[in-house]
Amino acid sequence: MRKKKLAVAAASLALLGSAAACSSGGGTAAAAGGKVSLTYGVWDTNQVPAMKQIIAAFEKQNPDISVTVQLTPYTDYFTKLQAAATGGQAPDVFWMNGPNFQLYASNGVIEPLTSLTPDTSVYPASLVKLYQYKGVQYGLPKDFDTVGLWYDKSIFDAAKVAYPTASWTWADFQTAAAKLTNPSKGIYAVGATLEGQENYYDTIFQAGGQVISANGKNSGYADPATIAGLSFWTDLIAKKQSPSLQQMTDTAPLDMFESGKLAMFWGGSWDAVAFGANANTKTGVNVTQLPSGVKKATVIHGLANVVFSHTAHLAEAEKFETFLGSQQAAQIEASTGTVIPAYNGTQQAWVKAYPQYDLQAFLDELPNSVPYPISQNTAAWNTLEANLLAKAWDGSEPVATVAQQLATQMNAALAKEKQ
Amino acid sequence: MASLDGNSVLVRLRARPRRRRYGPIGAHTFLIAAVIALAGPFVWELLTSFKSLTESTAVPPTLLPSNWHTGNYSSVFSGIPFRSMLFNSVVNALARTCGQLLFCSMAAYAFAWIEFPGRRVLFGVFLSVLLVPSQLLVIPQYQIMQSLHLLNTLPALFLPGMFSAFGTFLLRQFFLALPPELQEAARLDGANPLRIFWSIMLPLARPGLTALGILTLIWSWNDLLWPLIVNTDPGKMTLSAGLASLQGQYLTDYPVLMAGALMATVPVIVVFVVLQRRVVEGIALTGTKG
Amino acid sequence: MTMAATRTGARSAASAGESAPAPAGSRTTGRLGRRRPGGAARRSNALWAALFLAPTALGLGVFYLWPVVQTLYYSFTTWGPFGGHTWSGLDNYRQILHDPDLRSAFENTAWYCLLGLLGIPVSLALAAVLGRPGRRGVAAYRTLMFLPVVTMPAAVAIVWRWLYNGDYGLINALLRKVGIHGTYWISDPHTALIAVVVVGIWSTVGYNMVILMAGLQSIPRQYYEAAEVDGAGPVRQFFALTVPLLSPSLFFVTVLSVIGSLQTFDLVYMLIGRTNPALPQTRTVVYLFYQDAFIDNNRGYAAAMAFLLLLVIVAVTAVQFRLQRRWVHYG
Repeated sequence: MRKKKLAVAAASLALLGSAAACSSGGGTAAAAGGKVSLTYGVWDTNQVPAMKQIIAAFEKQNPDISVTVQLTPYTDYFTKLQAAATGGQAPDVFWMNGPNFQLYASNGVIEPLTSLTPDTSVYPASLVKLYQYKGVQYGLPKDFDTVGLWYDKSIFDAAKVAYPTASWTWADFQTAAAKLTNPSKGIYAVGATLEGQENYYDTIFQAGGQVISANGKNSGYADPATIAGLSFWTDLIAKKQSPSLQQMTDTAPLDMFESGKLAMFWGGSWDAVAFGANANTKTGVNVTQLPSGVKKATVIHGLANVVFSHTAHLAEAEKFETFLGSQQAAQIEASTGTVIPAYNGTQQAWVKAYPQYDLQAFLDELPNSVPYPISQNTAAWNTLEANLLAKAWDGSEPVATVAQQLATQMNAALAKEKQ
Repeated sequence: MASLDGNSVLVRLRARPRRRRYGPIGAHTFLIAAVIALAGPFVWELLTSFKSLTESTAVPPTLLPSNWHTGNYSSVFSGIPFRSMLFNSVVNALARTCGQLLFCSMAAYAFAWIEFPGRRVLFGVFLSVLLVPSQLLVIPQYQIMQSLHLLNTLPALFLPGMFSAFGTFLLRQFFLALPPELQEAARLDGANPLRIFWSIMLPLARPGLTALGILTLIWSWNDLLWPLIVNTDPGKMTLSAGLASLQGQYLTDYPVLMAGALMATVPVIVVFVVLQRRVVEGIALTGTKG
Repeated sequence: MTMAATRTGARSAASAGESAPAPAGSRTTGRLGRRRPGGAARRSNALWAALFLAPTALGLGVFYLWPVVQTLYYSFTTWGPFGGHTWSGLDNYRQILHDPDLRSAFENTAWYCLLGLLGIPVSLALAAVLGRPGRRGVAAYRTLMFLPVVTMPAAVAIVWRWLYNGDYGLINALLRKVGIHGTYWISDPHTALIAVVVVGIWSTVGYNMVILMAGLQSIPRQYYEAAEVDGAGPVRQFFALTVPLLSPSLFFVTVLSVIGSLQTFDLVYMLIGRTNPALPQTRTVVYLFYQDAFIDNNRGYAAAMAFLLLLVIVAVTAVQFRLQRRWVHYG
């Protein structure tokens, strides 16, 4: 197994070396042919080195195309992208995520990939579907993430509770939570964060409920199963097995978990990077699959690379996008350990990046993964979720009431979306 | 209400002949308390910049770093192109300041000293610009830059900032405080307004210009949203925008961010320290009167 | 005649001489006290004025006023996220009337405005104490107190979130030492708004103080000396002498403070997250504008909201300018 990681590393180094050698000499040769310059929009500073490696490999194979990375912090990325796209000036290729995808596809801002006829069987099916609009493929999946149950080994040891396993059910989780909470030491069982992807979407699906109907026109929040999924968290807060919403607003549950104040933490695969960098959690935590309710479920989400429909260099941009979706690019991503690449079979390098954690658990959840719920204007009802569910989380209103209000308002928002 | 002159003030004061003295100790205690409240948080910012990432997010937070990680400061230089961003910030601040000093003083002179029809209405329109929230302006200004083909260039950073209603307002107050006899005398000598402006008014206005200059320098240094939106190349960003990009989506290196923020504050503080007396003088002489 | 003498000379002439000075802003007789110039002179004046005003007028017009006009236009449309709009008449405005979130946002904004004014007496006290002639260490004090004004907003947010943290923050730690149990300042709906106001005052105290110190410098020393001779103590001098003579600067600072508080956004955005239970009690009109325009893609509605806020700011500022006759002493 280790040989494979070394092989991948060696391959990447070789690519890097040759890319470096090439770029120094390639300038003059390309000038004669007229180099095409592309821009690639991204938002995560921690992934930029991997992106640059991929670009180097691409430029080696395509000496007449050069690509520059444009980094905008996530909080401003889509604001800026919207402004730029309105005037026809967005980057040629850029990152897209689930919540924003349909907005861009339905307004013709991103290019459908019909001419490329990509082989989409190499990516997880739920991801491929996430980036289809009206049956047409608009983006090539770049990476994916699922949610797992991270746990603090020392707290479990101190409370004499067995570590969680992939076969845990809600009942197992709740029993353990009661034993793990230790008010005298300021330790809570878990953080009931008011977060969809990591917390309540997962329990909604595990309870057999829905966030939005399959046709994207109706809210799922009035469904009793959905309400059961929400109650999972509000019950934990009520029993004081989770910090209160106010406490979690003041101090991020992630920080609490890293400092040994939470026994368990429902977190994404991306947290491996943060935990690996933190001295306390580097070896003190591990991860397993989420517990099952009525069924097993986890939210899967991933980014895709898309092409701007008004790019000046469509052919070159599509070439770059194809490369980004290739196995080679996926392997470079995997070797840096920052994200799980979407290309089937390349994920092992990511699993090996942090051998102290059972990262395979995230991959094992793939068969039970549900795509992140979206619609054309996802952001509008995400705001409603945040504002309304806060009232259930801080105990000022019962969950069922709030869920009904949310369903009504979300349906109103969905009705406004154009067809 | 009648204007207050020295005599009427003294008349009122004579009514109470008792004396009380608060020594300088009381004053300095008050001032030091204020300094602790105002500058104290910086101590924490400074201490955090020397911590490791683990320590900076530790719960409960620690005050002093266990080890002094000076490497955070050099990490700023590797995380962002600090030097080119510093250059861009300086160019941005200087260009905006020079633009405002020139254009605002011209406009202020016209409002203060040239009589023309519709002067008050036009001034009111200028003032109303002050009332517009800046978030409203971002998208339209961006689209204007797009149509001018100036996106992702250095001029895009400072072009809208070269025109200011606040600067015009401030300098107009200043010009109004100057004695009318000067203009009279110059007029009688046959000088035209341009000559009067350039040779007489502008030199007199130096304190006011200094004040406006410093304020504009400080505001443009910290401007964040506009540089972030209008430019995309890291090499064309300002320091404030560049530091913001140190915030990753899931993981932010807080100590490095603090280190960068502190380093970015140093130039402004230096400018302020050196020129603060002129700032105060300058604002004083604008009179901030009607 | 030195410049300094000219200036103080002009001021004392104004204060001692005129019995009925024209109200601020009136120019019926012109600054020079003459009748308005004749036709030809007026035309040439207009041309000169146009020349001097051109750059700023053009710049402000293109970059600031035109966007306002655009916003007004779009407030009557459904403005798509990528351009493209359809006329919708007064729909957005009608929706505004029925929007409970907006109503509470206006209330919150009003509170920010009123509570923010409390920073002015603080700045005034600091300016008075620091500005006393002969005070030592003025430069150092002033620089240190100006630090909050020049620091990066992201850093401000991080520092204050630590100070306010309900479990581990410094403020509650200090309170615990005196036996008071502090609350979760920025997530408790009862205290969050005040917490944000405190940060707002903290970041502008230094700036206002510098402006007020400047105003203080322009009060002639002989008034104070005369007051000393008559036996008035520092506090008496302050209220009877300093405050009235400083009123033009106070007016300036107040107007700017009100305009600034009515536009509060950055602080709320950085300190209060989307899932903060205290969000409804702290969000401002500009916050809702930002949310509608940039997050929820509801830009026509946001434009209407922004325009409404603009009208409110204009009205409030006009009222302040009217009221200045009551309490501001010029000359």
